[in-house]
Amino acid sequence: MNFETLKMAFEALLANKVRSGLSMLGIVIGVSTVIIVVGIGLGSQQKVADQYKNLNVTSVIVMGMRGRDSASSTKISEKDVDYVLANAAYVNVGTAVLQGNLDLSYGKTSSSFSVFGSSAKFFDISNLSLAAGRVFTEDESGNTALLTVIGNGVLEKFWDEGTDPETVLGEILTVGNKKLEIIGVLKEIGSSTGPMSYDDSLLVPYSTAAKYLLGSTTKPNLYFLATDADTVDLATAEIELLLRANHKLKAAKENDFRIFDAGSMVGAATDTATTLTILLTSVAAIVLIVSGIGIMNVMFVTVTERTREIGIIKAVGGEQKDILAQFLAESVILSMIGGIIGIGIGEIAIPFLNNLEDWYVLHSPISIFVGFTFSVLVGIFFGFYPALKASRLDPVDALRSE
Amino acid sequence: MKDVLIKFEDVHKSYFLANGEEVPVLRGIDLEIQKGEFVALMGESGGGKSTLLNIIGCLHALSSGKYFLEGRDIGVIREDYALAFVRNKKMGFIFQSFNLLSRMTALQNVALPAIYARIPHAEREARATKLLQSIGLGERVRHRPPELSGGQQQRVAIARALMNDPEIILADEPTGALDSKSGKEIMEIFCEFKERNKTVLMVTHTPEAAKYADRIVFLKDGKITSHDYKLEK
Repeated sequence: MNFETLKMAFEALLANKVRSGLSMLGIVIGVSTVIIVVGIGLGSQQKVADQYKNLNVTSVIVMGMRGRDSASSTKISEKDVDYVLANAAYVNVGTAVLQGNLDLSYGKTSSSFSVFGSSAKFFDISNLSLAAGRVFTEDESGNTALLTVIGNGVLEKFWDEGTDPETVLGEILTVGNKKLEIIGVLKEIGSSTGPMSYDDSLLVPYSTAAKYLLGSTTKPNLYFLATDADTVDLATAEIELLLRANHKLKAAKENDFRIFDAGSMVGAATDTATTLTILLTSVAAIVLIVSGIGIMNVMFVTVTERTREIGIIKAVGGEQKDILAQFLAESVILSMIGGIIGIGIGEIAIPFLNNLEDWYVLHSPISIFVGFTFSVLVGIFFGFYPALKASRLDPVDALRSE
Repeated sequence: MKDVLIKFEDVHKSYFLANGEEVPVLRGIDLEIQKGEFVALMGESGGGKSTLLNIIGCLHALSSGKYFLEGRDIGVIREDYALAFVRNKKMGFIFQSFNLLSRMTALQNVALPAIYARIPHAEREARATKLLQSIGLGERVRHRPPELSGGQQQRVAIARALMNDPEIILADEPTGALDSKSGKEIMEIFCEFKERNKTVLMVTHTPEAAKYADRIVFLKDGKITSHDYKLEK
């Protein structure tokens, strides 16, 4: 294929602008769909990653039963943690965690935040790091010290934006009738879209939460860390057996707790997001194939209409491959321009979609590449047969056609 | 001195209908055409004139017999690129209905054969412009066929046929769609071409056109009935 062929193909397409435009439309819609749905798919995967980014991959979580058998029959307690840590070979760290929402006030402002009551180990388990101050000590977490480490969201709520976290250390927050001294501020986690955001939370010693804040209404969850990523399964099994033993469950009885490891939780969520991506991408692929059939149809009509032109080109010395190249060039140019416009529309649509609530769409260089490549391939694949048919026309018959 | 350009030996051509039935069109043609001759092909419709012209022009393959062009047996060639090469370099076609591409300008139409001869753009345009000027269409190079008269369109078609400086002009009723004045102009261009020792083969129905030819070959039912008929000019 040379420049002449491309030039002639362009001219032929321009001679029939409406038809060229319409046949391009399918590709435009197809490619913009690819850009958008791949963006949605990647967005949902990113969402999952954000949601769980504070979850250590080696962590194992034990929760009470939900529904019918809930609170009353759930016996998990902070004592389970000690029992597991004392007996397990594959478990490193553990803590009980109480979680609930409480109203918090500073001066005249008040707002609801998540409160986590735990030992200092929770900072390791949840990959939390400090912007300022310190975490509570083991002693403090055991003796109902009135201390708290606040999330960045709490800082931003009660103090002006850009306040240095160091300056709020020693300030007092009121929760219920308790006054908690701020001893640390968490680094901003940001962009987290899930329920596990620690930005809008404050952490207090477990005993404090149990005694004054949440103990009467909430049951603890247990967080453990396995010794490393490879032993998570072993640790999970071990914790399950130890808890059953500690709860004195007979072999026939079912667990009175639920146990998850972080890996499988993230895995399940990632699987869902991946399935969504595959599903959406298949829809886009189908749209592209249908648009390819549209192009093929148009190319057939074009070949039929321009039979005489094909005869003329043969009479003046054009070879079959010249005619093949020209018609193929036309369909590839159509689909390629359609692809470029589609990429443009898709990329322009993404910011608009992101303005909608609950939409999270990512730009992806890969989908641009795939969308473009696919559109060119559609042009070649669906343009080839009509072009071949054109090139094989008998010149005399072609010249005679009206 | 005889310089044989085209030689046919017992050439047959049949078409096959969809039901497999054979329809013979040419039934044993023996013909010699010298270089620089202007030959008219006449005869009733369905006599095989156009088929003969198309075989000479390598648009049709012959069914049996031999076709020598400049002493070479080209009747046996079936390869597309080789036939395209012969058409491109040796032949210039002219049709009753002009067969110009209406989306292209006169200049682009004339330059078309040179594209397939892989001649560079600038050279192509220069030669096409010169050709259009030589046939009195120097002012019309940017016009498209629908903006030109029938006579002008046929002259554009002739310029296109001459673009690659062919040996033979093959004209299938070139004056059939033209008034007599335009027809006369076309015939004069053919005569000039002949003056340059090139060959013209023309299928025609009209004695006004045929009288310009050196001789007339008559065909009837796929056979040549007269080789050497002449009309008074």
